[in-house]
Amino acid sequence: MHSTGLNTNQIMRQVIYALVLGVSASYVFFGWGIIVQILLGVVSALIVESAFVAMRGRSVLASLSDGSAVLTAILLAISIPSIAPWWLVVVGVAFAIIFGKQLYGGLGNNPFNPAMLGYAFLLISYPLQMTTWPVDFLSLSQVVDEVFNLLNFDGISGATRLDDVKTSLSLGSDIATLQVRSISQSWINIGFLVGGIYLLARKIIFWHIPVAVLAGILTVASLISMLDAQQHLPVQNHLILGGTMLGAFFIATDPVSASTTPRGRLIYGFLIGMLIVVIRTYGGYPDGVAFAVLLMNMVVPLIDHYTQPKVFGRS
Amino acid sequence: MSNNTFSGGVVIANPYPVNQVEIVQAPLPSKVVLPLQQRIGAEAKPCVSVGDRVLTGQIIAKTEDQFCVPIHASISGTVTAIDKQIIPHKSGLKSNCISIESDGQDEWIETQGCGHDFLHCDRQTMIDYVQRSGIVGLGGAGFPSHTKLSKATDCHTLIINGTECEPGVMCDDALMQHHPREVVRGVEILLHITGAKKAIIAIEDDKQEAYQSLLMFSHNDRISLVQLPTKYTSGAEKLLIKALLNIEIPSGGFAADKGVLCQNVSSTKAIYDAVIDQRPLVSRIVTITGDALTPINAEVRLGTSFEQVIGLTKVNSQAHDYRMGGMMMGVDVETTQVPICKITNCIFVNNKKPVQATKECIRCNSCNTVCPIGLLPQQLYWHAKGKNIDKCMDYHLLDCIECACCSYVCPSHIDLVSYFSFAKALSKKQETDQHKTDIARERFEFREYRLERNKQERAKMMAEKKQALKEKMAKDKQADSAQKDKIAQAMARVKKTKEDNA
Repeated sequence: MHSTGLNTNQIMRQVIYALVLGVSASYVFFGWGIIVQILLGVVSALIVESAFVAMRGRSVLASLSDGSAVLTAILLAISIPSIAPWWLVVVGVAFAIIFGKQLYGGLGNNPFNPAMLGYAFLLISYPLQMTTWPVDFLSLSQVVDEVFNLLNFDGISGATRLDDVKTSLSLGSDIATLQVRSISQSWINIGFLVGGIYLLARKIIFWHIPVAVLAGILTVASLISMLDAQQHLPVQNHLILGGTMLGAFFIATDPVSASTTPRGRLIYGFLIGMLIVVIRTYGGYPDGVAFAVLLMNMVVPLIDHYTQPKVFGRS
Repeated sequence: MSNNTFSGGVVIANPYPVNQVEIVQAPLPSKVVLPLQQRIGAEAKPCVSVGDRVLTGQIIAKTEDQFCVPIHASISGTVTAIDKQIIPHKSGLKSNCISIESDGQDEWIETQGCGHDFLHCDRQTMIDYVQRSGIVGLGGAGFPSHTKLSKATDCHTLIINGTECEPGVMCDDALMQHHPREVVRGVEILLHITGAKKAIIAIEDDKQEAYQSLLMFSHNDRISLVQLPTKYTSGAEKLLIKALLNIEIPSGGFAADKGVLCQNVSSTKAIYDAVIDQRPLVSRIVTITGDALTPINAEVRLGTSFEQVIGLTKVNSQAHDYRMGGMMMGVDVETTQVPICKITNCIFVNNKKPVQATKECIRCNSCNTVCPIGLLPQQLYWHAKGKNIDKCMDYHLLDCIECACCSYVCPSHIDLVSYFSFAKALSKKQETDQHKTDIARERFEFREYRLERNKQERAKMMAEKKQALKEKMAKDKQADSAQKDKIAQAMARVKKTKEDNA
């Protein structure tokens, strides 16, 4: 006897729908890039997943229908620069699905967030391609030219926003002007925030992780800015720049690789938030979401072990 | 105090509601089959033989076991067989049963109880009546009531469970609506037996008619009626106590340890019958429901076949799945040729449905949220699937009450509870195996020790013997030489005498 609530496939689909606003915001500011990346990612995910599942002798249809491969591909495609060369997302998605999921036994058995594993792999292997973002709205033809390297024209790309901000800050630029330039990023973050709230309302994710992630970010960012306000990003920028909202509501909440106990999820989320700011501020990489999540994925069994809820009739 | 609830659980409305909860009186069955094995305790020994005529309410089998109750004939007629028949159990196995063919008379044995003026009866007499009348927990657990009552020596609160154990089951609701006077009188009897200060009758808030009916009869200040939010697993004894009194019965403990006694409303009514008239429990109310028929409640003689009971209502279609007990904790049965027992509160008849495909567990946490015990079902599932029983124990497998809330909410449609009951069975098996190996090892070790001891004893004995022999030989030698000396002396004397004579 099962409830008539959402099933696993529907849950995955709901998460994908919740991404629409954030993706649209990205489209508004940077054009067709994100759409092309998502399409490339999804197609490669379907191919890789089918091939691997067939090799493992499992039902390809059942595996594709759960939507987890598509979701992984979309999350990765959103995270990488929208004008990255076509093979980047293909390689990333293949790595995420094969090494992040299938080699562990498929959906539900992976200790790491597959999308973030793919992201980390790409960032380490192809740092240049992974940090070159468009600075303006690009039409479909411009994107196709750029992604498939048909024309080699310059002037449409810049560094990752957070990287840019960090470099400028250390060079002594005015924070106010930077904030204006960050408007596009803020809107994208707001888009993901609204999508996240939708997931909370549909009870697909629980509040513990996103709230704890944001609290972790606020805590460490406040501490750091108290130490030296001039040299570091203002607190609110940590919330609306980079992958904060995507990370808090869509990445850290991946149930498979997250902690499962109520107290554990608070600890897990808070530490992810702290790590995000620490990596952004002191690390060598532009954003810290992927590494923060992967590091905390490793700690999940430990957290789960020590945060078991109180069992009825036991003290 | 408490807010009349507990954490976890799921809210499920009755899937097949009826406008009016009525009780259909089932016609006398032509034949009944009464299993000798009760839910708890040893199998009863028949005290009738094939061919005997029995009266309704006559004891036909009993045990020496103090925990058990005797088995009564539920109709009058002739014992036609004492043999193995399929019993309503998830194993589908056969067990010893007594079959009685009805003579259509329904002639009762003569009994006499305490009468309506029961206050003059003492506690033990009443408990004896309860045992002799075969009263067990009718909510589904089947625990003998007299055992509970005799343990409740230091009881402050009596809880009468009218929450209905599962969604869809209506038999307690029907009983409360149609026998409110007997229920309330039954509570008074229980108060008298236990000496409890107060009694709480707990009813879920979707049973307004039952609540109103009971309210009309409960004029005793020691009895209060409490409405609980309709939530599944409210009927579980420990959770009900938590909801009503905010007392948490420790894991492995009993309600009686905390001075609380729980009785189901149907059992309470049966206790009333037992104490007032010493009337044995020979029938019960059964809910017959499901999407393949029009749901009804029927008062049925124990031992009537499922088939006959299902025949009391209109069945709409052909291919069916049958399930006894509730939709959550009940078990599927393959055949309808099994008898109604004291614990058969409900029969589900559903149209055949395709089995829902299961997906992998994505650790979504839905199950932890609904677990009323606060377990982590997804972790237990992981370890149960890997047959890692030690880990399961770390996650308190044995505290699982198998309420199936986790299976119900699982978005991957994993039947978590069957993994848990499997793991429990495995743990029990491992325990027995361990016990067996322990015994075998002890025996082996003792054998080794015994062999060694024998060897040593023998060696010691040999050594002693050798020593003794040696000593004897030395002694013999000594004696020998003494003898020789004597001979020599004698010879010398003889020689001397000869010489002297010569």
